[in-house]
Amino acid sequence: MQSVAKRFGANTVLDGIDLRIAPGEVVSILGASGSGKSTLIRCINGLEKLDGGTISVDGHRVDDPRQLQHVRRCCGTVFQLFNLYPHMTALQNLTLAPIEVLKLPRRQAEEEARALLASVGLLERADAYPAQLSGGQRQRVGICRALAMKPRYLLLDEVTSALDPEMTAEVLTILAKLAAEGTTMLFVTHEIEFARQISNRIVFLDQGRLLADLPTARFFAADGGLAQPRIAQFLSKMSKS
Amino acid sequence: MRYADFTSLDLLLLLQGLGVSAALFAATTVIGTAIGLAWALLRYYRTPLLAPGVAVLAELLKNSPVLVQLFLVFFGLPVLLETDLSPEQAALITLSANTAAFIYVIAVSAIESVGRDQLETARVFGLNRWQTLRRVVAPQAAAFGLGPLAGLLVNQLQVTSLISVIGVIDLTKAGAILNQRTLKPFIVWTVIGLLYYLMARLIARTCARAESRLRGHSQWKGL
Repeated sequence: MQSVAKRFGANTVLDGIDLRIAPGEVVSILGASGSGKSTLIRCINGLEKLDGGTISVDGHRVDDPRQLQHVRRCCGTVFQLFNLYPHMTALQNLTLAPIEVLKLPRRQAEEEARALLASVGLLERADAYPAQLSGGQRQRVGICRALAMKPRYLLLDEVTSALDPEMTAEVLTILAKLAAEGTTMLFVTHEIEFARQISNRIVFLDQGRLLADLPTARFFAADGGLAQPRIAQFLSKMSKS
Repeated sequence: MRYADFTSLDLLLLLQGLGVSAALFAATTVIGTAIGLAWALLRYYRTPLLAPGVAVLAELLKNSPVLVQLFLVFFGLPVLLETDLSPEQAALITLSANTAAFIYVIAVSAIESVGRDQLETARVFGLNRWQTLRRVVAPQAAAFGLGPLAGLLVNQLQVTSLISVIGVIDLTKAGAILNQRTLKPFIVWTVIGLLYYLMARLIARTCARAESRLRGHSQWKGL
């Protein structure tokens, strides 16, 4: 990702972001609301047009419509508000894209989907509709739906910010497991403690600019990230709340 | 037997009229729905020229009286094209086009009722526009559109009675014939009205049943 810029009107949301993520890494993106974290994710999976710079995933450029399909194939996205398909069961939510896009036979897609649901303890809810699931269950389905496409990278956009602490814990447990299995993740979050536990690197955004991109330990060290007043201020505020 | 008495043949006339009304309603609904959905599709794919053209056409059809449209087609079209048009053909053309315009409006608003987040999710997962329409948008839009659709269809059924004016022997025309002969307007028009009522109930019930099936996924069952 090179000098990425994104503007909404006169409002510069992302300003010259440079970022590299290697396979197997877990990178957390921290920053205040409005700092451009979610926009960054939306730029990577091609939901927003770039106003400058380039993003490429495995050599496929996001700004080329034909290569974008490859990018989307590589990247699984999990949304803040789950965005499950309300008219489909949990199982159908998982199998839709594998059947339509990857052209898997239905039986195989369903088998894989059931295995995924089982891995997050939701096998018995496979035929429930999203409206019949709790928030934590919905987000677990959301994660499984992304994993069903066997993505090489997982983009997580504040996946726990719509959940209460107990449900957040359900979801984070699964993410920790994925991280331990070596899934590459770009993790936009407000869960600082959790980010500290699972990330290799922490990226800090402030008003669309990349303020820090440090290994986790360095980021939280007094002479590392904390040496920057803006980051120290953010962390102390977040730990108080 | 006085000429003004009801006979069993009157029942036949009534049934025939009922059949014509029902058949015309069914045919114009099928044709109108197909055309209206096709128009909505042009809009969904943002087809240049065609999409705005269709929007204007629908506006015209929606905002002028059906009776005027009927006269235009029945009296005007044959002059323009130098052909003959039977009353039934004129009725079929006019009502199909009119239904299409309203179906178009309902379909467009139903499609727009599906949240942007749903479209974005489908896109991110690599579904193309057609797959998104078929698997994500259409099922949700259908559940949304069935309520307004039921209202429209019941209304379009009543509108078919206008075709009696150009000489199609539908249920209303049959009523007019019976009324003229028997001079019992209260009985005749009560029966005619009841028959329309029963057909309308049938339409509404069918739509309501379809709607509750499509909404089966949500726990919200309405007020």
